[in-house]
Amino acid sequence: MNHAAPHNKAGLRWLVQAGSGLLLLVLLCLHIIANHFVVPGGLQTYADVVRYLSNPVVLILEMTLLVAVTGHAALGVRAILFDLGLSREAGRNVSLALGMLGIVAVAYGAWLTSKVIGG
Amino acid sequence: MDVEREHDQTYQAAEVQRLANGLDPRGRGLGMWAFVAHRITGIGLVVYLLLHLLVLSVLAQGPHGWDSFVALARTPVFLVLDVVLIAGTLIHGLNGVRVALTGMGFGLRHQRPALVALTIVAAIALVYAAHRIFTS
Repeated sequence: MNHAAPHNKAGLRWLVQAGSGLLLLVLLCLHIIANHFVVPGGLQTYADVVRYLSNPVVLILEMTLLVAVTGHAALGVRAILFDLGLSREAGRNVSLALGMLGIVAVAYGAWLTSKVIGG
Repeated sequence: MDVEREHDQTYQAAEVQRLANGLDPRGRGLGMWAFVAHRITGIGLVVYLLLHLLVLSVLAQGPHGWDSFVALARTPVFLVLDVVLIAGTLIHGLNGVRVALTGMGFGLRHQRPALVALTIVAAIALVYAAHRIFTS
């Protein structure tokens, strides 16, 4: 039995959390600048939004932001809930629920983006 | 049975109190205040994230839905909420940088000055952001 496995998983989760956080700093800055400061007055009209999201580079950055922020948020909430002292079974259920919620959030964001671009 | 139930309730109340005491930063170091602020802003940002995704669903309604939302988003109440959001993001983000760096072994002996410096950076950035939000 690999007794180091739980520690490895915890370490990997911490690395993903820290890494996604640092990535988010860059992506969020780009997101805020692009949405509010590139076009005078920001993305005011629907046409502005469609034009913005139709740019492939922007699309990739926004989807990366969505995945990074959802993963970071889910891991953060998981850490807070685990600090409450959950049982092993409750911990597994929490992890599963947050994982599914994250997948739904990313899928919804991707669907909404495709709907906006597609018209 | 009633004695057991009463014991469970007493135990649970004691557990809640223990957790609350554990998260109370009063009388503790600056690091504990940073930890609590990090958690509170984190929860706030998660709530914002869910609301943001929900609100963006107006995009699915086409130009009319989006234009109505933008008009609402430019009202003073929403602009104030934007400033609160920026404050939460700065606190959580910059403290997160400090946590990530110290977690990897960098600046372990300089955590207090790093925290103070990042707080000053956050304050300056927040003032600038608030100015841009209310004057653009």
